[in-house]
Amino acid sequence: MTDIRQLATDWDAIVVGAGPAGLAAARVLHSAGLSTLLIDENPAPGGQIWRAVTSTPLLDQSVLGLDYWAGLEPVRGAIGSGLAIATATSVWSADRGGQVGISCNGVTRMLTAKRVVIATGALERPFPVKGWTLPGVLTVGAAQGLLKSSGRVFSGRVVIAGCGPLLWLYAAQVLRAGGTIAHILDTTEAAQFRPASRGLAGFALSSYLAKGLALMAEVRRRVQVISRVTALEIEGQERATGVRFEARGRSGQVAADVVLVHQGIVPQVNLAMAAGVPYRWDAAQLCFAPVADESGQTPLARILVAGDGAGIAGWEAASARGTLAGIAAAQALGASGPVPNGRSERAQVRRKLRARGFLDRLYRPADAFRRPTGDVIVCRCEEVTAAEVEKGIDLGAIGPAQLKSYTRCGMGPCQGRLCGLTVTEMIAARRGLTPGEVGHYRLRAPVKPITLAELASLPADDAAVRAVVRN
Amino acid sequence: MKFSFGTLLKEALSGHRGWPRQWREPEPKPAYDVVIVGAGGHGLATAYYLAKEHGIRNVAVLEKGWLGGGNTGRNTTIIRSNYLCEESEALYEHAMKLWEGLAIELNYNVMYSPRGVMMLAHNEHDVRIFKRHVHANRLAGIDNEWLDPAEAKGFCPILNIDSRLRHPVLGAALQRRGGVARHDAVAWGYARGADALGVDIIQGCEVTGIRRAPSGEVTGVETSRGFIGAGKIGVVAAGHTSVIMAMAGVRMPLESFPLQALVSEPVKPVMPCVVMSNTIHAYMSQSDKGELVIGAGTDAYVSYSQTGGLHVTRHTIEAIAELFPVTRRLRMLRSWGGIVDVTPDRSPIIGRTPVPGLYVNCGWGTGGFKATPGSGHVFAATLARDEPHPIAAPFTLDRFVTGRLIDEAAAAAVSH
Repeated sequence: MTDIRQLATDWDAIVVGAGPAGLAAARVLHSAGLSTLLIDENPAPGGQIWRAVTSTPLLDQSVLGLDYWAGLEPVRGAIGSGLAIATATSVWSADRGGQVGISCNGVTRMLTAKRVVIATGALERPFPVKGWTLPGVLTVGAAQGLLKSSGRVFSGRVVIAGCGPLLWLYAAQVLRAGGTIAHILDTTEAAQFRPASRGLAGFALSSYLAKGLALMAEVRRRVQVISRVTALEIEGQERATGVRFEARGRSGQVAADVVLVHQGIVPQVNLAMAAGVPYRWDAAQLCFAPVADESGQTPLARILVAGDGAGIAGWEAASARGTLAGIAAAQALGASGPVPNGRSERAQVRRKLRARGFLDRLYRPADAFRRPTGDVIVCRCEEVTAAEVEKGIDLGAIGPAQLKSYTRCGMGPCQGRLCGLTVTEMIAARRGLTPGEVGHYRLRAPVKPITLAELASLPADDAAVRAVVRN
Repeated sequence: MKFSFGTLLKEALSGHRGWPRQWREPEPKPAYDVVIVGAGGHGLATAYYLAKEHGIRNVAVLEKGWLGGGNTGRNTTIIRSNYLCEESEALYEHAMKLWEGLAIELNYNVMYSPRGVMMLAHNEHDVRIFKRHVHANRLAGIDNEWLDPAEAKGFCPILNIDSRLRHPVLGAALQRRGGVARHDAVAWGYARGADALGVDIIQGCEVTGIRRAPSGEVTGVETSRGFIGAGKIGVVAAGHTSVIMAMAGVRMPLESFPLQALVSEPVKPVMPCVVMSNTIHAYMSQSDKGELVIGAGTDAYVSYSQTGGLHVTRHTIEAIAELFPVTRRLRMLRSWGGIVDVTPDRSPIIGRTPVPGLYVNCGWGTGGFKATPGSGHVFAATLARDEPHPIAAPFTLDRFVTGRLIDEAAAAAVSH
C-alpha cells in the first residue's frame, strides 16, 4: 500500500485510474519527462479489464484470454518504469484548478497538477428488474472480478441474464476455468438486428466479429441459451432461488442459486462531473459522457478525459485514447522529452468507434429493462420503487435533484451511481423530454464517501488558512 | 383535502391512491395584484399570509427553478430566537411563536421539533457575549440559559468537554424551545396553503426584467414566460436579490456568499439536540433519517456559485471531529451549497424601496430558515398596507443611510 504522506504535493500531471487508458496516458507523460502520478483505487494497476493481471491464480492463459493477458506488459511496464503509482488510493475530489483530493488508509492529501487526466473507466448499467437486490444476485462484472482476482467460480446453479459482449466473455471464461452455467437468458432484442446491421460493415472489418462469434459458439455448445427474453423476475424470499421469464411470448422458470445480471457498461462520470466538466447525453449508448475533443481535452483547460470514462469503446480504443490524452497534456505543458505523434492511435480510435456502432445498437438494452415499473426497486440504497419515482414525477418533480426531496432517491451511500441513469430515463420518458434535457444528479466532492476523520486530517496549506481565518 | 386522522386512515385502507396533488401548475395570468419573486419558504409564506390575512388572492409567486429548491432546501433547518437586539428578538420570537402553531395553521406536518439549540462558548469572549445574550433574552421574556461544560455535556452526551482541546468548551447558551423542522415540508405546506387560497405558483419562470411606468412605479415583470403585469412586486430572492433589484435600478447593500453543508451516512440516534459553534463556524444536528447534518461557514469571497471551498468544510470538520469524537469514523455522503445574502449589520431588510410598488425581503444571511413564518407574516402585512408592520419597521433599507443599524454580528452565529 502506498504511503501517500510521502508523495510530493505538486505534479505536472495526475492520472486518475490505472486501466488501459490511464496506464497509456501516464506512460506518455512519464516518458516525456513530466512529473506524473498515477492513482488507482485497486491494490494494483490494471483497471477492471486487467484486474490482478500480475497476481491472478489463473495462470493458464487460455482461461481469461488474450485480451486479458495483453495487460501484463503495460502493467509491468508501468511498475518498472519509475512512474509514481499510488495504489489502493481513492480520488474523492478534483477541480478545474487541478487540485485533486486523495485518500488512502485513513490519510488524506490535497495534491495539485497542471493537467489531470480522468480515466475512471466504466461501470455496469443498472439492471432494475424485480428481485435484483436479493442476496445471490450479482452483476457479471462483479463475478468476473472474483474470477480474475481469486480464480473463483460459483458453485450451484448459475443463471446469467442480460445482454452484451461482457456476458459472453465471462460465460466462456467460467466454462474454461471449470465452472458451470445452468442457463443464459439472453435479452438481446430481435428488433435491433435490422437497425444494427447498418453498422455491420464497420463491425465486420474489426476483430470483434470473429472474436464474438467464436465466444458465442463456445458458450452455446455447453450452456442452454434462452434467447429473445422480454421480461425477467428474480424469485426468492431470503435470497435468489430462481428466475421467471418471458421469451418469444411464452413464460418460463428456471431454478438458480446465483443470478448474474448484465446489460452493458456506461462511463463512470462522477469525478469528471463533480469537477465541472460539461456532459452530454449519448443517444446511441444511452448514457452520459463528458464533453471532450478527440484527444480527450475537455472545455476545462486543466482536465482531460480518456478511455471508457469518455465514452464506451473497449480497451484497445481506451488505450489509444489514453495515449492521445497523454500527448495532448504533454504538448500543452511543453514537455522536453519525446512525445509520440499519435497518428496510429487516432486511426485505431476511429476504427474501433466505427465497429462500435453495431454493438451499441445490437445490445441496446430494451426499454423495459431500463425503465422499470411497479414495485421494482430503482434506488437500492433508499429502497425507492419505480412506482414511487413515477408518483414523484407526476407530482411535478422536474428533474433528479427535485425528485430527491420527494423520494430520497439517489441520496444513499452509492451517491446515485446505481440509480442515476434509471431515474433520468424515467423522468425523460414520463415528461416527454430527452435524457439530456433532464440531466443527471448534481455531483460534488466527495465523490467517494470519505470519513470525517480523513477530511479533518487534511493538512491545511497557507492559502487554505488565509481563506478561513480572518483578521 | 383537509389532512386528518380520518383521511389518513381512509387512505391507509385504500392503498393511498386518493391523495390529491398539493398545488396546481397554472399558466401565468396577464396580470396580478401582487407578484412575489422567489418561491422559497419566505416567498411562499408571504403569498400565504397575503391571501389568508389580507384577502389579497390575485397573487403569483414566480420561481426560476422549483419551489423550495433554493436556500429553503439547502439549509440545516435550525430554529431559535435568542438574538441580542430588541428589534431582532421581536422578529425572531414572532417567528418562533408561529412555528409553534404552524403545523396546525397549515394543516401540514412541518415536523417542527423543539429539541433545544445549544451554542458553544470556546473562549472568554464567547462566554461574556453569550452570557450577555442570556440576560438580554430573559429580560425580553425569551428563554435562554447558561450551562457550564458539565451541564452542556449532560444535554448533549457525545460532546467532548476535555479542556485540552483546540476549541475547549467553556460553557454554552441553551435555548430549549429552539430546534429544527423539515425544510421541504415548510415550503410544501405554505405552497399548498397558498394554492388553496387561489395563489398561482409558477415554477420554471425566471424574472429577467422589471418594467416601470414613466412616473417610476412598477408595472410588472419580464419573465422567461413573457410579461406579467403587477400592481406590486415583492422580491424575496435570497442570494440573487441584488440581481433582481438591479433590474429596477436599485443597488442593495448585500454581499452574496456560498454557504455549505454536508451530511454523514445515517446512524442510530446519538445527537439529541442542535449544537452550534460560532467561533469555528460549525453546527450539527441529526436528521430523522439518522444522518448527521453539518453546517460549515461561508466562503471568504463573494460568489453566485452554489458550491463552496473545500478548505471551509475541512476547517469545520476538523472542529466537529474534535468536539464529537464519535463522528470520526462516519462517512460523508453528500455536500451542497447555497447562496446567502448578507447585510453589513447581519440583520435582514424588510420593506419598501425607493421604487414605488417594489418591496424587498432579503439579507437573512445564514439564518433565514428560522424566520420563515415570521418573515412572510410581517412582509405580507407590509405589502398589503404599504406601510411597515411594526415588527418589520426597524428593518428598513434606509437604515444604511440613517445609521440606525441592528448589529447582530455575534448572534448570527456564523462568521461572515
